[in-house]
This record gives sequence, structure tokens and C-alpha cells, in this order.
Amino acid sequence: MNRIGQRAVYNPRINLVLIFLLRFLRAAGFLLLAALVFHEPTAMAADWTAPEAQLAAKIVAATGPGAVTLDITNHSSLSRTDLGEITRGLRNQLTASGLQFVNPDQAAASVQISLSEDLQNYVWVAEIHQGANQFSVVMISTPRSGALPAAREASGVIIHQSPIWSQSERILDVAIIDGVPAHMIVLDGNQVTLYKQQGTHWQPEQSLPVTRARAWPRDLRGRLVLRKDHLFDAYLPGVFCRSTAAAPLSLNCFASDDPWPLGMGSFSLNAFYTSGRNYFTGALSPGVGAQTSVPAFYSAAPLPRDKYTLWIFAAVDGQVHLLDGVTDQKAGKLDWGSDIASVNTGCGLGWDVLATGNSDGPGDSVRVFELADREPVAVSQLLEFQGRITALWTDANGNSAITISHNVATGDYEAIRLSFACGQ
Amino acid sequence: MKRSGLVLLVASSLLFSAAARAVVRPHYGGTLRVATAAAPASLDPVDLNQSGSLAARNLSYLIFDTLVTLDDQGRPRPALAASWQPEPGNQRWRFTLRRGVSFQDGTPCTADRVAASLRVANPGWKVFASEDSVVIERDSPSLDLPAELASARNGIAKRDGSALSGTGPFAVTAWAPAKKLTLAAYNDCWRGRPFVDSIEVAMGQGYREQMLALDLGKADVIEIAPEQARRAAAGGRRVESSSPTELMALVFAHDPQSPAEEHWREALAFSIDRGSLNNVLLQGGGEPAGGLLPNWMTGYAFLFPASADLAKARQVRGDSRQSSAWTLSYDPGDPVARMVAERTALNAHDAGLSLQLTSSAVADVRLVRVPIISLDSRIALAALAAAIGLTPPPFVGGSEQDLYSAESALLQSHRVIPLLHLRASCGAGGAVRNWSQGPDGTWRLDEVWQGPEKP
Repeated sequence: MNRIGQRAVYNPRINLVLIFLLRFLRAAGFLLLAALVFHEPTAMAADWTAPEAQLAAKIVAATGPGAVTLDITNHSSLSRTDLGEITRGLRNQLTASGLQFVNPDQAAASVQISLSEDLQNYVWVAEIHQGANQFSVVMISTPRSGALPAAREASGVIIHQSPIWSQSERILDVAIIDGVPAHMIVLDGNQVTLYKQQGTHWQPEQSLPVTRARAWPRDLRGRLVLRKDHLFDAYLPGVFCRSTAAAPLSLNCFASDDPWPLGMGSFSLNAFYTSGRNYFTGALSPGVGAQTSVPAFYSAAPLPRDKYTLWIFAAVDGQVHLLDGVTDQKAGKLDWGSDIASVNTGCGLGWDVLATGNSDGPGDSVRVFELADREPVAVSQLLEFQGRITALWTDANGNSAITISHNVATGDYEAIRLSFACGQ
Repeated sequence: MKRSGLVLLVASSLLFSAAARAVVRPHYGGTLRVATAAAPASLDPVDLNQSGSLAARNLSYLIFDTLVTLDDQGRPRPALAASWQPEPGNQRWRFTLRRGVSFQDGTPCTADRVAASLRVANPGWKVFASEDSVVIERDSPSLDLPAELASARNGIAKRDGSALSGTGPFAVTAWAPAKKLTLAAYNDCWRGRPFVDSIEVAMGQGYREQMLALDLGKADVIEIAPEQARRAAAGGRRVESSSPTELMALVFAHDPQSPAEEHWREALAFSIDRGSLNNVLLQGGGEPAGGLLPNWMTGYAFLFPASADLAKARQVRGDSRQSSAWTLSYDPGDPVARMVAERTALNAHDAGLSLQLTSSAVADVRLVRVPIISLDSRIALAALAAAIGLTPPPFVGGSEQDLYSAESALLQSHRVIPLLHLRASCGAGGAVRNWSQGPDGTWRLDEVWQGPEKP
């Protein structure tokens, strides 16, 4: 399992709204604007020292100390910044090992280094020509690492993303228990794992197997709910698990068709989940006012109003339903995906809807929408992900949300906590 | 905070598409109609030979699981085996099986049955069951055993007479050998029930027929010949292509009989204009190949020259003339192979060499197409060598340098001249969602679902 870091990643400010851009142009001038619009996310600095030293040692073992020509070309996905750094590093290592770089007519050997890559590694290849007929090839490899997805800026509401956890097993939900030290609970299809924060790391404390009698459905979903009288409940398709209250924890899982809680805190609404599929049946308990059913749906989000709670459902047929206890209103045509959640952003009306996108591409996105009336209005920019969002749940405190996405570059599932601030 | 103004500004950038009713969570249900050119006469994984078609392997993965699977980076990942452990020396391995897995006929997938299946596929291995594990013992250290077990021919099958059952996401409901296969979703698949209810596979379909079926809405997923992929995409079809994953090469029947013949073969390799073969004949459906494995798998394939150098070809050939023309055979049912063979003969002629095309199975040189069967480069190289009749190379170590040395040794035998690496392409209909191919062209039909038809 990998930790992807606890450091919050804040969104660089890029404003895409035309009027705003024009004001910016006048105020700050073209250079500043260009710097903002074409800003490249800062790459994480990599340490190339070890592979540089390894390749340099192999080259010098073949050539011996002396005068050579050196040429380095990049056939890989390395950035120009990395290429420059590696070029400098290799030259330094080779010089320290006794090679001198000279013109071809003065050289005893020519060294052509190609920075290439295969499925898992960077492959650095040196072709060495000495004299008329002596030719040798040396190479080394060093693992490639994935990069964190770039974040984008918001306007009305700014979305901050904090990577929490990543692992190869599909993550269904993550809950953070604030405290000293903080704890984290990670739910996947096989187990619930409890972690304790130690400095910047999450240290595994205990793993509790999720027992079940039948195979899970594909597109597996699950939900963790923190409780007051015991630590947590876990809801999975056809299975319910309850933890004990104190450490060492135990987990009791059993077959159950009990409804899953849809809201958090005071928003008490439960819905029945189809155990062999990936959606809720539409039967509600106890119901939204007099309304006890909606069409089958994937996700729901409550928005508190003065005298009632407006419930929004992302239905399986792609339609969005708004239930206020009396009427079931279908929203206009929206570009929403199947996952929505409500969050208390503290901006505007306070509670907003976070909705995934509906693109068919490999990536995904979320965006904050305000429903002042019944028409959703986007109040943030898109926050893009490098893979499909497989889960979106409101955090226990209601102020943040947890997204789980399947990173297409790394193949890992990544849990990211989204928190919100109001734009200026 | 000027909230209302900002809201209006952002609202103005919203897109309210008229067709925006799509949802991104998968839908269950429906029948997927697949057409393939391959026409396997058997579904038994053990009948998949090393040059078996990609489509046959893809179908096998739908029915049968392997103990181990390879991810897109070629790294072994647990499948039917939850974990594995070599004993010191890497000659004997223990694979601990995943619990609670059943065959599609309802019988439990036990260590005994897994061992029996692997013994059928690998008569030379010592395989036995040990409680919830399977132990495999090889004659020599086998670092790559987990990756080898990921190949389709090591799919775990329960054989009851002629009846076959696997643990994969689909069970066979009807099977007309080499003609038609019908599969139904296996509800209790340990990886989860697949999204579509059933898959109908029409086999032995020509590429033109397949394209027509896709255009008429009679097929949802088809294969597309590499040379037709570009045109198919230009025609507005949804086309997916893998990384280059099939080797097209000239294979000599025998080792060179003299140093002069070695030079002629080397000259032939320099004479071939692979760039034109790829760009003109194959319409960019592949890449020129100087090595056996493509660069995306090894990172070093550029070291093997792939560009034509007629001057060097003539220089290497020297003054000696061939004692007699080589005969070159190709698959007469493969129009691309015929064109490549003809062009190769012309290139050879320019270098002063003589290649005579023949439809006879017995020839000095064969033009072959061999799929790369694994994302593990060592397994892939060994399988390629075996498929073209060369002795699989002994690997000294596990580094890229060792792999390069092994591949260089195969090429220095002068038995094979790589020409091209071809992509595997396929087309998908507008209702097919979540379609993707692995880098080696592996289909992931169990992840596909069907949505509303898209224009």
C-alpha cells in the first residue's frame, strides 16, 4: 500500500471567465495573465543521482578514463526539466569518473546516451564506439513513478484537495477521525483497516476482515458511517458490518438488506440498495415527507432549507430528481454524472451540491453547484481527476467530501478529501 | 463577497447539452455482439498454442481465470492465487488460492482441480495440491513463473469429458466450434458479475464483413485489420488500437550453411524498406521493427537497425552471389502478407539478392505473423522464439541488459529478420461503454456495459 501524502494541495489560480480575464489584462498586463493561464503545475523533483551514478560507472568501465564525445537524447516521457537535470548529473558523474568531453577529432570514444523507457522503468542506454570496430552497449533501468493529478482553480467556491490514501485494492470509503493522534478508517471489499497518524504517515493499526457469503457485484460500492456508541458501521451490497467501540476492535459482518443511510448528522434518510448491482432500488425509509420512493438512483444529496430539506437524487436513467416532501421535480438537462453529494461550503446559501461529470473519457471531474432556486448553477470550476471517480461521499462533518478515483496512470485507487473556501 | 456576480459569471460558462443524459456509473444488462476473424475449433485453454490469435486468447480470458494476471505495466497481480512465494532457488513455488471461488458449474475451485488443470497444460511440470495451495516445481530456477502462469493457456479449467467450466466472468451456453459462441454472465464470479448479461461471438468473419456488421448495427465490437484502422477511424467509426503487439518477420528454415550465407541474410535485412512497408502497405498500422520485441516493452529496441540501407546491404553481400534463389512463402489468405512478401522480394533484388515467392508450405524463408503473448518481456521473448522455431534464450539475470543480450543472441543466429510490429485494432459501436484494450490488445469485455446509442 502506498501513502500519497498528507500535504494539502491547493488549487493554482486560473480564472477562465472572459470578463475576468479582460479585467486582468488591463490590471496586470499580458505577461502576468500569460503566466497564470499557461502556468504549468510544479513537478515533483526527482532524485536521479543513483541511476546517473550507475550508468556513469558502466560507461567508464567500458571506455576507461579518457577523452570522449557525449551525446544525450530523450526518447522517453521525461520532461525537459528532468532531461536538463539528468544531462548535468551524468556529465558531472562521468567527469568525476575520469572522462573528459572533447571534440570528435580528439576523442578516443563516442558515447551516445538514449533516455528511453519500457512499461515499468526508465531505460537509459549508452552506445559506446571505440576505434573503428569496437562497439558496446550498456544500460540501466530505474522505476518510473506516477505524478499527482494537477488541480485547477475555482472561482465562486474554491476546492482544495488533500490526498489521503492510495492502494491497489479498490477503496470504497474512507473516514477520518480527528483527534490527537488522528485516525483513519479505510473500507475495501476485503477488509476495514484502521490507521493511526504518526507525523506525516498513516501507520496501520488493525485490519478487520469483511466476511461475506457471496461474490461482490462489479462496480462495488460501500459506505462507512461513524457512530457515537460504537466506532463505525460499514454498508456493503447485501452485507452490514458493525464494529465494537474500543480497541482492539472487532467487526461483525452479516448478510443484510437493511437500508443504507444517505445523509449525515440530522439528515436522516435511508434507502435500500440492490445487493447484486450498483444502485439503490428507490425505496426510501422513512421517506422524504410523504414521498417514500423515487426511481432507482445511484446517489443522493440533501440540501437544508428553512422549513424542509430538499433531496436531490441522481437516477439510474440519468435524470436528476428533486424531492421536497410533496413534489418530485425533474431537473433540466444537466451534465452531471452518477455521483453527487452535498457539502456545507459556507459560501452563499451554505449547502451546495458536489457533482461528478458525465464524460466518456478516461478522466473524471467534480464541480460545486448551488441551488438557490431549483436550477443548479455552477459555482466552482471543474476539478479534474486522472481517472474515474468510483465513490463520492460527504464527510461526517458535512464540510468536506471524500472522493475515490481510479488513477489510470498508476492503476491505484486514490482517496482525496475535498474541502472548500469561498472565492473573493 | 461578491457571490451573486460570480455565480452569474460562472453560470454563463455552463454547458447545457441537449444530449446530456449520460451517466457514468455502469449499467447492467444487454447482449454484446462480437465478431472476430479467428475461428478456434476448441475453447480449451490448453489448445491455445503460442502463435494463437489475440482474439482466441481474449475469448479464453472471458471464460477461464489464471492464477496470476499481469497489469498494464506487466507486473504480476493476484487472480485465482491470492499470494505466492518461491522457495530458495526459485525452482519450487507455492501459490495460495483465493477462497470461496467456484467454477461456473457450481463446484468449488479447489487446489486439486487447479493442480489437475495446470498438469494438463504443462505436462513437464510437477504440480501438486497442498491444502489451500498449489505447489509447482520446475526443472530449473524459474523467476518468471508467476508471469508465465498469467498466459491464457494456463487458464484454469475443469474438464468433465468434453464439458469445460471455468471461474471467469462468463459461462458457455452455446458453442458451435469455429462458428459461434454464446456466453452468459456468471453471477457468482469472484471478480463480480460482469455488466452485460450475455456475449454472442460470431467467428471466422472476414474484416470486410465485420466492418459492414458494425456499420449496420449488427455487431457491437469487431476486429479491424491493421492496414484498415486509419481509414475506419477517418470514416467516423470508433476505433481503438493497441501498442504494436504482433511481430511480422522473415524466418529462415535453417541456420546459415556458410559465412557467405550469413552475409546474404544480413544484406537482406539491410535491404528492406520497412518504413514504406508500414506507411504505404499497412497505412501506418504498425511500426518498423529491427528487434523481436517492440520498444514500448523493452526501451532498447531502437538499438536494432530498422531503416533500409541499400549501400550497406550491397557492401555486406560483397562479391559473392547466391548459389540459388531463396523461396519465400506467405499465408495466401492474408492479402497484406502477399503485398509485404512482394515488396520484400523487390527490395532484395535491389541489393542483388533473389527471393522467389511460393505458395508452397516448404520454403527457405517464411513470412510469419506472431502475436506477442505476454506483457512480461522475458516471457514474450521466449514465446516468440519458440513460435518461430528458435531455441528460447537462456536468461542470465533479470535486468534489461540481460534481456537485450538474449534478444541480440537470437537475432545474431541469422534465422529471423524482423520487419514490422503491428497494432491490434478494433471497432466498437456507439452503445458500447467503458471499452478499453490493454497495451497488448487484450480486450476487457467483462468491464464493458451498454448505454444509449451515441451518434
